[in-house]
Amino acid sequence: MNVKVGDELPELVKHPTTRQLVQYAGAQGDFYEIHYDQEYAHSVALPGVILHGLLKAAFLGQLVTDWLGDRGTLKTFEVSYRGVDMPGHPYRCRGRVARVEGDDVELEVWGEDETGKRTTVGTATVQMRD
Amino acid sequence: MSNQEEPSLSGLPAATAPVIDRLKSRIGVDGPSVTATVEAGHLKRFAEAIGDRNPRWAREVPPTFLVALAPISVHVAEAEEYGKGWLNGGNRFEYVAPVTVGDHVTATGRIADVYEKPGSTGALLFIIFETDYVNQRGELVARLRGTMIRR
Repeated sequence: MNVKVGDELPELVKHPTTRQLVQYAGAQGDFYEIHYDQEYAHSVALPGVILHGLLKAAFLGQLVTDWLGDRGTLKTFEVSYRGVDMPGHPYRCRGRVARVEGDDVELEVWGEDETGKRTTVGTATVQMRD
Repeated sequence: MSNQEEPSLSGLPAATAPVIDRLKSRIGVDGPSVTATVEAGHLKRFAEAIGDRNPRWAREVPPTFLVALAPISVHVAEAEEYGKGWLNGGNRFEYVAPVTVGDHVTATGRIADVYEKPGSTGALLFIIFETDYVNQRGELVARLRGTMIRR
């Protein structure tokens, strides 16, 4: 198996738009107004509409499945949302191999805003095929 | 606010017991199950919405799709008496078996924990939800744990 601790996952840069947030709201069925209604977002002390945490999780999920391909199976995927992100700004998804034990591999993944702040951090565990 | 006489483990009428006690009384109690079919069209719209063009998502579900399959009780109405907005704190998915187009998946959710924590701009209410997903053959396919925060 050709995976070593410290290997970096090919980064994935997303360019979320308000349109995408509406599309995601419909696809997930989460119509909480903070994701598409600027006035509402301001009324709850947000700087404007923000990305769904689960959309950022989906971006990081893609980072992992793009890297993994058919070489193994995703077993767990965990994300914590540490900050809000706004549409109209690139969202950079990155990751690296944190641990390898036989066929079990743990990945550290995170999403960065334009300033390099990690607004989403997470872990994925995968089982590689022999 | 509703004035219904809901029973509450704290012994207080539901409408006057602090919301945190009412939520705590539901820890570990399964909510109503929801069954949904994984439809190819829904899967396609979801993959488009997240901007993931991987062709495998024509048949298989991507890692976070299950949250879109059945409404999970993340927005517990009564918790909205606390604070003024929701924040998603985090999600943890555990994958046990593959889910593909045509599967009938039953989601059963419950509150796993409720607690208050001080935040930088006042107290925050944390609600931990768990959802189990079981397929048409009765096999557990995935588990989800989510942290929702009222601020």
